[in-house]
Amino acid sequence: MKLLEYEAKAVFKEHGIPIPLGHIIKSPEEFSGISGKLPSDFVMKAQVDVGGRGKAGGILMADRTKGEKIARELFAKTIRGIPVREILIEERLEIVHEYYASIAVDRSSKQALILFTESGGVDIETLARENPDAIRRASIPLLMNRIPPFMMRTLLGSAPKELGPVIQNLYRVFLSRDALLAEINPLVTTPDGPFAADAKLIIDDNALGRQGITQNRDLTDREREAERHGFSYVELSGSIGVIGNGAGLTMATLDLIEYYHGKAANFLDVGGGADQERVMHAVRLVAADPSVKVIVVNLLGGITRCDDVARGIISADINQPVIVRLAGTNEDEGQKILAGHGYRMLDSMEAAVRAAVEAVQ
Amino acid sequence: MIYGDKQTGIIVTGATGKQGAFHITLINEYARAVGGRGVVAGVSPGKGGQEIIGVPVYNSIRDSLREQDASAAIIFVPASAAGDSIMEAASAGLSLVVAITEHIPVHDSMKAISFAKLNDCSVIGPNCPGLLSPGEVKMGIMPVHLSSRGNIGVISRSGTLTYEIVDQLTRAGLGQSTIVGIGGDPVIGQTFADVLKKFEEDEQTRAVVLIGEVGGSLEEEGARSTDLPVAAYIAGVSAPPEKRMGHAGAIIEGGEGDARSKIARLKAMGVPVASRPSEVPSLIRKLI
Repeated sequence: MKLLEYEAKAVFKEHGIPIPLGHIIKSPEEFSGISGKLPSDFVMKAQVDVGGRGKAGGILMADRTKGEKIARELFAKTIRGIPVREILIEERLEIVHEYYASIAVDRSSKQALILFTESGGVDIETLARENPDAIRRASIPLLMNRIPPFMMRTLLGSAPKELGPVIQNLYRVFLSRDALLAEINPLVTTPDGPFAADAKLIIDDNALGRQGITQNRDLTDREREAERHGFSYVELSGSIGVIGNGAGLTMATLDLIEYYHGKAANFLDVGGGADQERVMHAVRLVAADPSVKVIVVNLLGGITRCDDVARGIISADINQPVIVRLAGTNEDEGQKILAGHGYRMLDSMEAAVRAAVEAVQ
Repeated sequence: MIYGDKQTGIIVTGATGKQGAFHITLINEYARAVGGRGVVAGVSPGKGGQEIIGVPVYNSIRDSLREQDASAAIIFVPASAAGDSIMEAASAGLSLVVAITEHIPVHDSMKAISFAKLNDCSVIGPNCPGLLSPGEVKMGIMPVHLSSRGNIGVISRSGTLTYEIVDQLTRAGLGQSTIVGIGGDPVIGQTFADVLKKFEEDEQTRAVVLIGEVGGSLEEEGARSTDLPVAAYIAGVSAPPEKRMGHAGAIIEGGEGDARSKIARLKAMGVPVASRPSEVPSLIRKLI
């Protein structure tokens, strides 16, 4: 789950990373309450989780006289489709230089990857493509609780030594918060020392519980309902509903739909243990999407009981046709139950997908 | 076969849980059918002295090794304790850990995998179906009836998609040497490259199927590392960009991790890539 900038900054501050003085407001009316505490010039930053926020007009310079008017403008906006609900008001920093520092989970090394560049404030992806040598990197095993001095020297090069403690503390944030990514871009130097001018923190969804986070905000309502049932669900734009077991098989089902020039309406992985009740909930969830014209169910497992799955499909009692590919135990009985209710059961995912694509054409 | 054979003694942690107990039954049914040793001990802290489906239960892996001869562990304990269980197995001197558990916090996995490496212990998974060498040994949860013995190796990040492709191979008369589910998590122990190295030393294996998906670059790294003939299938060509598994590593490499660029890189290395699971057998047949 991605934290918003001000939430990430609060975590950074707890771990000793200097951040600009700031206030959060949730409506234009709250501006007057804090304006007395503000310096004459400041920055107003929409708290939305989108890239390129500045370019999309989400970051504006202001002063005390214009602050409330600009707050109203910002709250009325959507930034790349996301409505603005909170604004972070921050002091303006006297920036000497902009750097970049991040720590991320790296699949290839199975360690944390620390990146640092003296060309901060730019899009790191672009920099990596155009000038990869400008980025210094170091891998650190998570069994180490501090970045060792040699590694820090390698990362910093000739950059100011005062950045060392910031990166060390960023590693503490990374470790203590189960982060997938902890990033400061830009990390700025000023006459008053270094500051995290922006902050990004992504927490591992599998660690939300022990991080004291009860609800994953990144999910839509339907995705959250799916999560309650233990399903993985992603909404897409087509008309063929898809239910599978296992992420790989479900993804392959979507790919096959595309291969036969159809369009999937969703991705739903029921996970392990596809029993009657779970299948019923899955079918109802997918069928509740009005754009779904037909549903293809692709379940493969050694221990899946096809008769249970068939009963689950029947008991969902939906209007759209369901095309089923089922492999497991009691296949014949499952087929009989489905046929008795006018549903089709086919013996390969390929045949099931083709039938579904034909059904919507 | 790689990683284990009929002689391999297996310990199951989380043995008294629903999943653990259920799969001990299936693993030992298979072991009996092929004349192997199967699960020789279960471990559940506080339940030592009990017995589950004819298998003695111990409080710790070290306890079980005092009475039983085993070299591998299969982890079924819940996510919050699974990293600890992997480290316990490595610390007790086992050479292989198969971590079935899903939803382990990735930091726990990273620490446990590093720790296991320091103890010369290989980790398969987490979030994986384990492995199956048809006719030899099953260490995990794969259904056995779709497989057949032969000389095609299979390495996969997925569970059921593996069963689908193994089923297609079997129907086409292409038996398997060992099927390894390496896991769907971002950080896993044995990667495509590690398993391919094992297959290179395995006389039975003549060609290998790589079953990958969106995210990371382990498929390409594996294909680049081996001289064995390999064919691939990559799931997720239709995965929408905004839902892609994003992380800094993928961002830095620029476009890394989406299925189309992954497929393009594999093809550039001369690896045939199936556009549908059903195409895998014909691609493999051309390689052998």
